[in-house]
Amino acid sequence: MSFLIAQSLINGVILGTLYLLMAIGFTLAFGVMRIVNFAHGEFYMIGAFCALIGVTWLGLPFPITLALTIAFAILLGAVVERLVFRPFRADELSGMIASLGLAMILQHGALILFGPDPQAFPSLVSGVFRWGALIVPKSRALALGIGIVILLVFYVFLMHTRHGRALRALVQDQEVAAVFGVRLEIMYPLGLGLGVALAAVAGGLMAPLFGVSPFIGGTPLLKAFIVVILGGLGSIPGAALAAILLGLIESFTSSFISASAADIVTFALVIGVLLVRPAGLLGRAET
Amino acid sequence: MNTADTISTHRARPANLLWLLALVGAAMIPWFTGSTFHFHIAIMVCIAAMATGGLAVIAWVGQLSLAHAAFAGVGAYTSVLLVTRLDVPVLLGLPAGGLAAGTVAFLIGSPLLRLRGVYFVLITFAMNELFRLVMLDIPAYSGGSSGIVGIPKISVFGQTLSRHQDVYPFMLICLVLVMGLLVLIRNGQLGRRFAAVEENLTLAESSGIPTARTQNLAFTIGSAIAGFAGALLAHYIGFISPETFGFQLSVSYVIMLVTGGRLALWGPLVGALFLTPLPEFLRGAVEYQHIIYGVVLIAVLRFLPQGLAGLPAQIARAKGGRP
Repeated sequence: MSFLIAQSLINGVILGTLYLLMAIGFTLAFGVMRIVNFAHGEFYMIGAFCALIGVTWLGLPFPITLALTIAFAILLGAVVERLVFRPFRADELSGMIASLGLAMILQHGALILFGPDPQAFPSLVSGVFRWGALIVPKSRALALGIGIVILLVFYVFLMHTRHGRALRALVQDQEVAAVFGVRLEIMYPLGLGLGVALAAVAGGLMAPLFGVSPFIGGTPLLKAFIVVILGGLGSIPGAALAAILLGLIESFTSSFISASAADIVTFALVIGVLLVRPAGLLGRAET
Repeated sequence: MNTADTISTHRARPANLLWLLALVGAAMIPWFTGSTFHFHIAIMVCIAAMATGGLAVIAWVGQLSLAHAAFAGVGAYTSVLLVTRLDVPVLLGLPAGGLAAGTVAFLIGSPLLRLRGVYFVLITFAMNELFRLVMLDIPAYSGGSSGIVGIPKISVFGQTLSRHQDVYPFMLICLVLVMGLLVLIRNGQLGRRFAAVEENLTLAESSGIPTARTQNLAFTIGSAIAGFAGALLAHYIGFISPETFGFQLSVSYVIMLVTGGRLALWGPLVGALFLTPLPEFLRGAVEYQHIIYGVVLIAVLRFLPQGLAGLPAQIARAKGGRP
């Protein structure tokens, strides 16, 4: 029993870290630009395809592929901000509806380019780590390790650089930030670009584990949604707490009850939190 | 013609009459061509227009529901289970579907509608997912992921409407009834109350309009219409599964509503009429269909905030002239 609990704990933390990568980009886009981005999952999918192209078609090493994916995703996010979201800055609802359209365009664009079949990704490492009865596959440990490194780099960027401070200022108060010289025409594309890049890198990290197809974006989008609602739209610490919580809830419910029960429990939890505390666990109340 | 006219007055003006004639003409097309395929498209337009009409009623009080497909699903499953398990006639099952969806909406409406804007969209999105997951988890009733097949066709007074040509008039009657209900609501006192709530919630509240009850009423009516349309869909297609009523269907209703015009009375009809047959004209390029949907959606949001139904007014304004 205690073994099962420990194993669930480890799996939960791994899941939570991956959800966090997705959720931070999502919540950043909302915090900075007030956009609920339904296309976020499609950027995960695009990241996975970038990794596939880099590793299998171009034969690049995995770290270089990931770096290129991040660079490409930041550019893509900036372009999308300019073409799709910029006209709807003042209008949350229209921006969100536009993101539904964007998601359709991206998903079916990938469908045309790559076809509907899932594509296998060559495994980077094989084997497992064992501590007594506990088992962690090395591939998962690798994804977890890189994920944590990326999150740390992002944390340092956000807390200790000029642009990071500007982004945090925008999340707190758009007008005051603008008055103090935060340049919106740079920060908006950067904010969305970074959000997109985090989703894409999550896709790249997950590609070796789950394979690649145009339809893989749906589940990560859902998880990001859940995490962000639980943590509070726009709140990054809230997302961190909720991501780990969600990972643990899912891992424990599926170990001890069933996988479908895990989904139902989390959605019921989401609806409960929205009803009782729409601002989420750590979010600020809307006026 | 300006936007204020389309909201309040309902006198028959030449322009309106022209539109009505065009609509009737469009509805007649399948009979002229006689093609079964055209009948099928026309039926799908009717069903989509009804469901989107329900979504429009909710939009009139300023809320956007992403749980619309789930309510269509509640209606569909209610009707199908009544008809197949309890031998209720389809003609009773259809309104029962609407009633069931409306009841569910009424019960969950008041807590949900405390949320506004994107938060309401998010919670309805979560509700839709929850509906799908719960239905998948009770295969004894929902048929699980393989769904329910062989659903009885619609029959009127012992006459089964098995051919498309026979179903179409029935669907047209249903559509006229639903649109009639929308016109009645829109032009009546209720419609003005809805508009007041949509325009300025605080002001409406302080003018003595019970805003919470008004929003819940709109949510109930709109979701009941979705349930009715879902039941029609189930009996026409003959197959439903929890996946039928997933996120994608909710999104396509939103796209039709936004394309047609979020606040226009005829928006749902225009949206359904424009977007349902669109893929069929692009048959050589089926895979581009969704991309075109996405592009149309973003373009309409950007350049036609009133939707296609607001296009004439927008053109008139662009010319700077008054009609």
